[in-house]
Amino acid sequence: MAAIQPRTDTHDVVVIGSGAGGATAAHVLTRAGIRVTLLEAGPMLDPQAEFKEHRWPYDYGHRGAEEGGAAYFGEGKSFGFFTTTSGGWQLEGEPYTVADDTDDFWWFRSRIIGGRTNHYGRMSFRFSDYDFFPRDRDGLGWNWPIRYEDLAPYYDRAEEFIGVVGSHEGIRSAPDGVFHEAPPPKAHELLIQRASHRMGIPCIPNRRAVITRPINGRPACHYCGQCGRGCLGGSNYSASQTQIFPAMETGRLTVIDLAMARAITTAPDGRVDGVLYIDKRTGEERRIRCRVLVVAASACESARLLLNSKTAEHPNGVANGSGVVGRYLMDTVGFDVGGRVPALEGLPRYNSDGAGGAHLYMPWWGWETQEALGFPRGYHIEIGGGYQMPGIGVFGGAARRGGYGAAIKEEARRDYGTTVSFAGRGEMIPNERSWCELDPDVVDRWGIPVLRFHFQWSDHERRQAQHMRETFTELFHLMGGEANPPGRRDAAGISIGGSIIHEVGTVRMGDDPGTSALNSFCQAHEVPNLFVCDAATFVSNPDKNPTLTINALTWRASDYLAGAMRNGEL
Amino acid sequence: MVNPSLHSSGADDRPTRRDVLRQLALAFTVAGAGAFNVEAARVVHALAGEARAQPGGYAPRALDAHQYRTVARLAELIVPADSGGGSGVDAGAPEFIDLLCSQNDRLLRIYGDGLAWIDERMRDDHGGTFIDADALQQTRLLDRVVAAERGDVPRGWREGVRFFDWVRRMTVDAYYTSPVGIADIGYRGNGALSAYETPADATEFVTRRADELGL
Repeated sequence: MAAIQPRTDTHDVVVIGSGAGGATAAHVLTRAGIRVTLLEAGPMLDPQAEFKEHRWPYDYGHRGAEEGGAAYFGEGKSFGFFTTTSGGWQLEGEPYTVADDTDDFWWFRSRIIGGRTNHYGRMSFRFSDYDFFPRDRDGLGWNWPIRYEDLAPYYDRAEEFIGVVGSHEGIRSAPDGVFHEAPPPKAHELLIQRASHRMGIPCIPNRRAVITRPINGRPACHYCGQCGRGCLGGSNYSASQTQIFPAMETGRLTVIDLAMARAITTAPDGRVDGVLYIDKRTGEERRIRCRVLVVAASACESARLLLNSKTAEHPNGVANGSGVVGRYLMDTVGFDVGGRVPALEGLPRYNSDGAGGAHLYMPWWGWETQEALGFPRGYHIEIGGGYQMPGIGVFGGAARRGGYGAAIKEEARRDYGTTVSFAGRGEMIPNERSWCELDPDVVDRWGIPVLRFHFQWSDHERRQAQHMRETFTELFHLMGGEANPPGRRDAAGISIGGSIIHEVGTVRMGDDPGTSALNSFCQAHEVPNLFVCDAATFVSNPDKNPTLTINALTWRASDYLAGAMRNGEL
Repeated sequence: MVNPSLHSSGADDRPTRRDVLRQLALAFTVAGAGAFNVEAARVVHALAGEARAQPGGYAPRALDAHQYRTVARLAELIVPADSGGGSGVDAGAPEFIDLLCSQNDRLLRIYGDGLAWIDERMRDDHGGTFIDADALQQTRLLDRVVAAERGDVPRGWREGVRFFDWVRRMTVDAYYTSPVGIADIGYRGNGALSAYETPADATEFVTRRADELGL
């Protein structure tokens, strides 16, 4: 019998997932000289083949309606043919279920290098100082184990590296950062700004992960407004182009794509010693050994993996001695409306594509008058409008109003560019009725148990969404326009849970191992060589879109991890 | 500082795919030089142009000759040519509709049944098919369909109203996603700029409107 030899096939750090969290971990760790192996459940991204930047609808026989006119039947690609999404609300062979106590819950999953950062909205807002101690303010939810000052240096680093446009405003709800120069407002935004100022609502340059001067070999934005299609030059942030590809070039990052993690394995001392994954190319199960594991599979997928990892040492799932894994699932409170503003009729035509998305937004303004508002916490307002590239369905309203003939063209010419929209994005308070667990009866195509979701808004969120509606109605009224009825997602007066794609929580951090799974460095209380680096770690879900905070928390965790490896703790 | 939109670039000087990839790589490695990002976008755009469908004779794949001629006539009536732009036919609406029908039996059935309904209605009134009728007879039928859509749908017209919405929607989409429709509506973007600015006439216009609204 051979003597026990040190294993040579043990990887230093294995990272699961390549979105904002996994890519930031891979980026920071490889720059610290650490060898990283990354598992991604989807394929490698090929921007040249995948991105439709600068294509016109008429470049395709189907004009963007997709083969067989799928878009007309509600069966087209999520967010339209031209976006670079790889993933969707439903994935073949990978179901999830919704419990009987829940009306509906939507779960968008990407399966590709870079994950959802390839197509996301790129809104990049820092948490406010007060967002870290919400319970101290109103007695609801829980405080974070860190304060703004702990994260601020990592917001700085994340912004400097990924590049964010913005301006210095000194507004407490929206702390300033390290910004690239923001592009000037679009014409319709100037009108909206005048209306918002009448209501006492600030309307300031937007903060988006786009660069307006070259950095790190990435060219400055060329203002085609097509960030969601993917930017071949990489002038916007995507985890794939900005972090994964450069990390691969260091020679210290190995990517194993089409690798679906099934379970984490642990050694008798309780530490993680490897990961079992399905090689999707062959359908076979494989094992990879590691010194340290970083789970960054997205909030709910990370919880699912931990819950599916019941070992002799961790019978309740790895890092789940507290039973908190899967709990306190949150999404963003959403309410969107669009409507026509006749005052914009006759506005001279111009190229309003800009830097992708809006050039202005409205940060939360009510943090000092919270009690009078009748709901806790706040929301910000995102803006839409302008002379957008025509596409399938855009002139459907003009067509119906025109009937047929010359009237349709007249309606369309008058209508074009007169529609604006507002999207409220607000904070949900974590509650006991919103969580996910393993479904005891349903498995995916590889036999892996799937998630079952429970989700309930409370009156806190419903009152906030009602306030959004009243605010938008007043904005339209001031501009002489009229809001359309809300769409399907917001038909109940508040968005369907999960549909804003800001799901967070489920593996939260905290100081108390009895009520949290991770410490403030995203390290499992019970398993020192396990880190969770995605939005699963969130204690609350402020009205700040989560990606920038995932970047910053992961950067901080990765610095800590690298230090612990250097000094032999890990 | 602002370059014009690039969609007028000539067909003859289109770079090859290899040129594009080489220039893109160059643009990214020397990105500090500033202007190259515009060049990169220009070649990407030209590449897109290379792949564009060429106009010319189109042989219907799904609709028969009579159906195709009927769709073409409807497309002309729904989006007629005027001083601002061409017609639904100029925009390729019949090809668009036929192509999608060739890929989707559900859509083909919608057109097959709907076109038969229109011919049947015209036969009831005038004894011939839709394309055999004169222009006045044709527009009278469409007037009745639109009136039915906006009011109480008479018995037997629901199917026709629903079909007309399909052919109208797809014709209008084909028009505004075509070069002629995009020029008509005045979309000026999909270019590559070295700086973004909102023109003074546009900002002055909204300032005036905001003043008028008392904002």
